[in-house]
Amino acid sequence: MGAQHINLVPPQVESGHFDELLQAGQTISATTSPFDNSLAVFLSPTNISGSNSSSNQEEPVYFASYDVIPSSERRLFIADTQVIFSMFHDMLEAAKTREPSWLQSSEALELMRKFSVDYVNFIKECWIHASQPMARADGPLQFSADHYRSLYSCFSLFVVLYLPEPGYEDAPVGEELMEWLNIHFIEPSTEEGDHLSSLDKPWEDVEFWPYLKRVTLRGLTKASLFFFNTLLQHPSEDLQDLAKSIIPVVENQPRLQNFSAERDFAFASRRWKDKVKAIRIEMDRVPEDCRFDEFENWWDSLSDIVGILEGRSSVIQRVCEDLGADWKEVCAAWGIFVDSRLRRQDLVDVAAEVLENMPPDPTNLEDMIHSALFLGKPEQALRHASQLDTWLSAHFADVMEPLGLLESDEPAESELSKRDEYVLSYAEYLHSDPTQWKITIAYMYSCGDIGRERADEILVRVPLKLHPSETSGTPEEAIAQAVKEISEVCFNHQREAVRRTVCRIAAQSCVRQKEYGLAVSYCISAEDWVSLGRVIDSILEEYIKNGAADFAKQASKIAPSLQDIQFDSATEAIFVHRLIFAVRYSQIHRYKLEKDYVSAASDIVTLFREEIAPKSWWPVLLCDSVELLQYGPALLFSTSDAAELLKKLEEISIRASQGSGDDYLSVLVRTIKGGGEKDALERLKVVRLALARYFARCTVGSNKLAIPSS
Amino acid sequence: MAPATVSDSVPIETAHEDMIHDAQLDYYGKRLATCSSDRNVKVFDVLEGDAQKTTGGHTLKGHTGPVWQVAWAHPKFGHILASCSYDGKVLIWKEQQGQGWTKVGEHTLHTASVNSVSWAPHELGAMLACASSDGKISVLTFKDDGSWTADIFNGHAIGCNAVSWAPAVIPGSLITPQSQSQTAPSQGPNQTSSIKRFASAGCDNLVKIWGYREDSQSWVEEETLEGHTDWVRDVAWAPNIGLPRSYIATASQDKTVLIWTKESATAPWVKTALDPSSALASPVAGATMASAVANAPAGKFPDVVWRVSWSLAGNLLAVSCGDGKVTLWKENLKGVWECVSDMNS
Repeated sequence: MGAQHINLVPPQVESGHFDELLQAGQTISATTSPFDNSLAVFLSPTNISGSNSSSNQEEPVYFASYDVIPSSERRLFIADTQVIFSMFHDMLEAAKTREPSWLQSSEALELMRKFSVDYVNFIKECWIHASQPMARADGPLQFSADHYRSLYSCFSLFVVLYLPEPGYEDAPVGEELMEWLNIHFIEPSTEEGDHLSSLDKPWEDVEFWPYLKRVTLRGLTKASLFFFNTLLQHPSEDLQDLAKSIIPVVENQPRLQNFSAERDFAFASRRWKDKVKAIRIEMDRVPEDCRFDEFENWWDSLSDIVGILEGRSSVIQRVCEDLGADWKEVCAAWGIFVDSRLRRQDLVDVAAEVLENMPPDPTNLEDMIHSALFLGKPEQALRHASQLDTWLSAHFADVMEPLGLLESDEPAESELSKRDEYVLSYAEYLHSDPTQWKITIAYMYSCGDIGRERADEILVRVPLKLHPSETSGTPEEAIAQAVKEISEVCFNHQREAVRRTVCRIAAQSCVRQKEYGLAVSYCISAEDWVSLGRVIDSILEEYIKNGAADFAKQASKIAPSLQDIQFDSATEAIFVHRLIFAVRYSQIHRYKLEKDYVSAASDIVTLFREEIAPKSWWPVLLCDSVELLQYGPALLFSTSDAAELLKKLEEISIRASQGSGDDYLSVLVRTIKGGGEKDALERLKVVRLALARYFARCTVGSNKLAIPSS
Repeated sequence: MAPATVSDSVPIETAHEDMIHDAQLDYYGKRLATCSSDRNVKVFDVLEGDAQKTTGGHTLKGHTGPVWQVAWAHPKFGHILASCSYDGKVLIWKEQQGQGWTKVGEHTLHTASVNSVSWAPHELGAMLACASSDGKISVLTFKDDGSWTADIFNGHAIGCNAVSWAPAVIPGSLITPQSQSQTAPSQGPNQTSSIKRFASAGCDNLVKIWGYREDSQSWVEEETLEGHTDWVRDVAWAPNIGLPRSYIATASQDKTVLIWTKESATAPWVKTALDPSSALASPVAGATMASAVANAPAGKFPDVVWRVSWSLAGNLLAVSCGDGKVTLWKENLKGVWECVSDMNS
């Protein structure tokens, strides 16, 4: 494969002046993009001694794609054919649940034929669309109509040769081949026919005999009968007589589709051949000197036509060469005239013989693909197809594999199968357009382990629309939407690990945007407990940095997550504990804001008793309780609750005096801006005092609202 | 495919005041970080389909010498960049809501220019390897609170030019059935054991493979790859995207690119040189090019090879050569490396 050259526009250096750049100590450098098939290219110095040769020129970075990015009609073509591809694969997937032999059953072949015909029809649509001279809203065509025409001819030939209607695998192929040729390579042209039919004496035209030979060869009976009829007016009586004899013969050539049994067709063909022989005998009786008219030797031309009808291969080949027709025409005519019972498996030998004398055009990939298909060399056809269009080679290979047309010896554990190789290379081309990621990965996921891994890498990089400019909704809506979309794809392809990675990244983004509710749910969804812990720390940071009200607001968003959480192991339990603490603690602040002091007091005690509160938060909780201890209208804590608070306060004081203050006081210290451990201990003295007063109130004021001890 | 393509590449104007030494795209390929002799690091948004309308970019100032390389951390750690400079420092930058890009860390243990920085695969956690002209390699391991520990050790005498991490999962381990094959296929690489390993390229013409030993809690030189005859300028370990073997590409002052392959964990590294003479002799190349190639012996590039970079799937290698061309290489089915395209400046 020859290297492809890519030139940057606008150029960094004028062509031929590259040396100047090199002498200036600069060269080109590049880095690959994970986004698509592109490189970021820039000039960099070759001398890295750290010189500071400040240049005043611009230092641009170029993006260059090494694939031609699909655009306009091509995108549509890619998207629509992928639908067929997916249905085909659903069928293959379903086949795995059946017996292995099912793929060779006529039911399976019928389906594969159907999907392949769908491809053919779709390519045809695209070709027609591309052929229309019209203004195109989505820009000029990326591929010419002729390109789609060649895909059309290749794919339909593949169907004719390799996917016959089930039950007709062994039927003669000639008629179908000729039909294919007549659809894709129309000869002779309609204009020629119109011109000749407008003449009174068409045989006087130089194109008359070549035209008549060609329509005979192509089996275009209507046209050939018309002109044989004109010969009834020819001045030569011999020719008139011969035309009279030929007309019914041409008219009555047996056609396979008119017979219900091949035996009857074969019998009719033999009888028909006898009639052709009779014409030959009649021709030979024409004296040599009567074989000319004023223009040429009509006898020789008619002899060629009779030779074709007789099925003389040498005549057919010579006539084709004279007419400028190629090997395809000879092969198709072979199946009509030389051997009307020619079968697909015998076609290979015929094609080999014909191609020996009339080789395909090596500069024409379409012709090379056709010849490889005729020769029964599907892998060779694939090679040429991949040069014509990776779409064609991928979809050929995809159908060829289940048909058993590709080398089936298990590839070494490492290597890709032929099919995967071609499908992956198409998928890589698709990756040049990142917006087509769903289509790209659909192809990749059909390619075994290697394909799955590659698709994973693309899937984890599907942008989560992290930049507000990329979307109209709120950032969190955009992220949620993107994650949902990717999760669905992950589910369909059973890529749990990918889904989790994406959730982790999404969680990180949400934390940045203080979308803690989403962040927590993504962590839980990814079962990433460590990250969950980090998110909760961020939420608790809100308290430390911005105070209770902000914190209560943020934490309220994570409360719903508690309900759908499930955990089994101890590690998970630790992080879930922290989540519970954050939610419950924020609840306390909400109670306070709503002046529900009874609930607030009872929850503070619960957090201590049930050991939900981490040690570093004990002092904060105790400070929070001061306001409640001092609440005048009622005693909010039972004596034993107050004793619990005192117990914790004692533990903190003792541990702090033993030098472990850091374990307990770090959070409280941080809430006192610019304060240290000493200030924190000072604060706790206030708690101690409040507790002392509270106990005093408990003994004195038993007439107040009594809280039953829990 | 068409033999010659013009890439409609709309350049991003970086507004750097001096030569760019490195440009790196982030995980999504949506942002571009560049660094320059002007001592600055810049970050641009690359907007889809319209690279021209960049947001002008952010300038990250902090280095006191030319900045050689930048590296993006995995997004699960946040928007984090590392940069290394002639000033001997590695700086860690973080983008925070409302505050933009700020320097959050400064690694100053090296005593000479730091030439290369590389983040470990995300499965290993936030780890950064750095290569310096002081001959040492350092590996930073970040903790949740942003603090880090550093391992620093001698790498290559004279100096280290580049570092590149191995994929976290050993190639083949996904394909080879494991003894406990009960794990569902959907579990993916996170479930398999991961390895901490990277390659370094040095001024001693060597490439070294370093592995972390959990038992001794230290980095150990596992293998030395000998083959280059001059400074090794760059090393790139291929991502393990379902490939059965490990691949390392190295670029050198000796004008060669070597591809090192290892069939299995126990197999030796085998080297193959890319052969540009087979590909570059095509007629489109300028006259000067053709003669330069004709003069270069087989297996040699016309000039020093500065940089090698693998595509996402690890199946395509971009080689930047001092002759001003970027060539793209692929291994064909027969295991031969072919040049599939080249880019002219």
